[in-house]
Amino acid sequence: MRISRNSMPFLLATASTFGVCGSAYSAESISDIRQAESSTIVFFVVFAVLTLLISFWAARRATSSSEYLTAGSSISSGQNGLAIAGDYMSAGAFLGLSGAIYASGLDGMFLAVSYLASWPIVLFLVAEPLRRLGKYSFADVLTHKLRERPIRILAGVSTIVIVSFYLVAQMVGAGELISLLFGIGYGPAVIVVGLLMIVFSTLGGMRAATWVQIIKAILMIGGSAMIATLVLARFGFNVSDLFKTAVSNHPSGYKIMNIRGFAQDGVATLSLGIGILFGTAGLPHILMRFFTVSDERAARVSVFYATCLIGLFFAMLFVIGYGSIALLRGDPAYANASGALFGGNNLAPIHLASAVGGSILAGFISAVAFATILAVVSGLLIAGASSAANDLVVGLSGRQLDERMLLRISRIAAMALGVLGILLGLACEGQNVAYLLALATAIAASANFPLLLLAIYWDGLTTRGAVVGGTFGLVSSVVLTAMGPTIWSKVLGLGPAIFPYDSPALFTVPLTLFVCWVVSVAKAEPEGDWHMAQPTAAE
Amino acid sequence: MQGESRLYKATEVVPLRVTAHRLGALRFWLVLATIVSYLAMMAFSIYSARHAAQSAVVAAEFSPAMIALASCMAFSVVLTGLFVFVRNEE
Repeated sequence: MRISRNSMPFLLATASTFGVCGSAYSAESISDIRQAESSTIVFFVVFAVLTLLISFWAARRATSSSEYLTAGSSISSGQNGLAIAGDYMSAGAFLGLSGAIYASGLDGMFLAVSYLASWPIVLFLVAEPLRRLGKYSFADVLTHKLRERPIRILAGVSTIVIVSFYLVAQMVGAGELISLLFGIGYGPAVIVVGLLMIVFSTLGGMRAATWVQIIKAILMIGGSAMIATLVLARFGFNVSDLFKTAVSNHPSGYKIMNIRGFAQDGVATLSLGIGILFGTAGLPHILMRFFTVSDERAARVSVFYATCLIGLFFAMLFVIGYGSIALLRGDPAYANASGALFGGNNLAPIHLASAVGGSILAGFISAVAFATILAVVSGLLIAGASSAANDLVVGLSGRQLDERMLLRISRIAAMALGVLGILLGLACEGQNVAYLLALATAIAASANFPLLLLAIYWDGLTTRGAVVGGTFGLVSSVVLTAMGPTIWSKVLGLGPAIFPYDSPALFTVPLTLFVCWVVSVAKAEPEGDWHMAQPTAAE
Repeated sequence: MQGESRLYKATEVVPLRVTAHRLGALRFWLVLATIVSYLAMMAFSIYSARHAAQSAVVAAEFSPAMIALASCMAFSVVLTGLFVFVRNEE
């Protein structure tokens, strides 16, 4: 049985919650731009000034490529844990997940659990080896065992593709969200976010991005805790009363206590789950975080902190989501007669903050959502810039670059990616970009994760096996996603989908592993591999 | 061009093989436990959704699917904590 056409947008919209806030919900909300509260504008200005100050402070220290790209590996495990958690507490997770629960119940939490369960995989398999063997990108780990040039080119292409898809989705989501929150048009919203992102990333680098993530994570957890506490207080801290009210308010009744969209097709859900479970361990902007700490111990402890914080955050979102159903549905101040929230269901936590804490809390939460977007896109930009300079340029030129050149190219790449993000964000206005995120996760799971896994744990992997397998994973995940129901049928309008599932990870991950193995055992690595030497002062 | 260099034979520059820690028994069992618990949660949630009780009394408490999701979340946190504790002790 396949997931019905009607449920597919919901599934993908929910799947996209960790990266973007737009998607299926945004289409209905664009036409309902609200006027910004004065408190929202005040908090927005405060956060914008604060982030710029942080970027100028960090810029004074970012005089080397290692400082710019990895904060000189001087971030502590606690700070890195908060920053990793901040990457996951995106505006998409906060707004999209709450909105998904508001719309139909437990499906949103199913996605949250899937993302949380991916962290033990990251910790057990890749976190420590990455810190031990890597410097700027995951390709550093691969090139310890394999020929450097083809591997760097492959890793660079894969990273740029993933980052680009993520970036476009973020920019579209950011434009829609900012236009909704602050009452400005989509175009100006994208340009404002894009310019801040470019200034922030180009100047401050990873240190600035990390500190903004840390501050944002603290504010996000604090704000969510405040809303969740105020919601529970409305029900005398009795969760049963909260559920009773939510079930009685929602037209689907008790069904909101179970997953719905994900229960329709087990294979599709399994494929999506596999993609998430292993995709996190292949996402460049997540892997970058392990290069910012000093050693393996700090890397693994930071994952533990992050997992605890992400779990806490998702638990609070659970209360916020069901609290939105209980308190906002049927209230004409926040929702229309059909139950749709004014401004779109993604604004559920903003409306809920207003309902339980007034306009000050709502303004604070709106501004935190903005800071979240800025922090996430900046991290993406730096991950892309790092790979562009360290992998793609080095791989294509066949020459290692010195520190000064690496720093310069990284900054140029960050700026170029930022401009590209703005232009694509403007071009994709109104598009449902959820599939871009599904695609990025599938590529990360299919192309990056198998190579990392085999390079770390199997001595038999050869350069040829890695290149053929990685290319297979990259191409197959792109092609199968394109032939899936969302892109083939809905976006391109080419009739019934050739491939029945939106996420191909269930098939592409094992196939990529198999191809790597077959090609590697078919022909041994030739002796005398060529690595590119580090430049010396004499040169 | 400044900062660039010719290609060297790898064995002249860095060791060709860098020892990567093999997949130890602890890692293997923990990875397996993570995957199995996640798949069990998924299977149970889908089963619960297809055989959902409609009683209003049941609705007053956490549903079985919610408990499955919460258990999987808690298990993920516990596993990471266990791994970090064991590795730090080493």
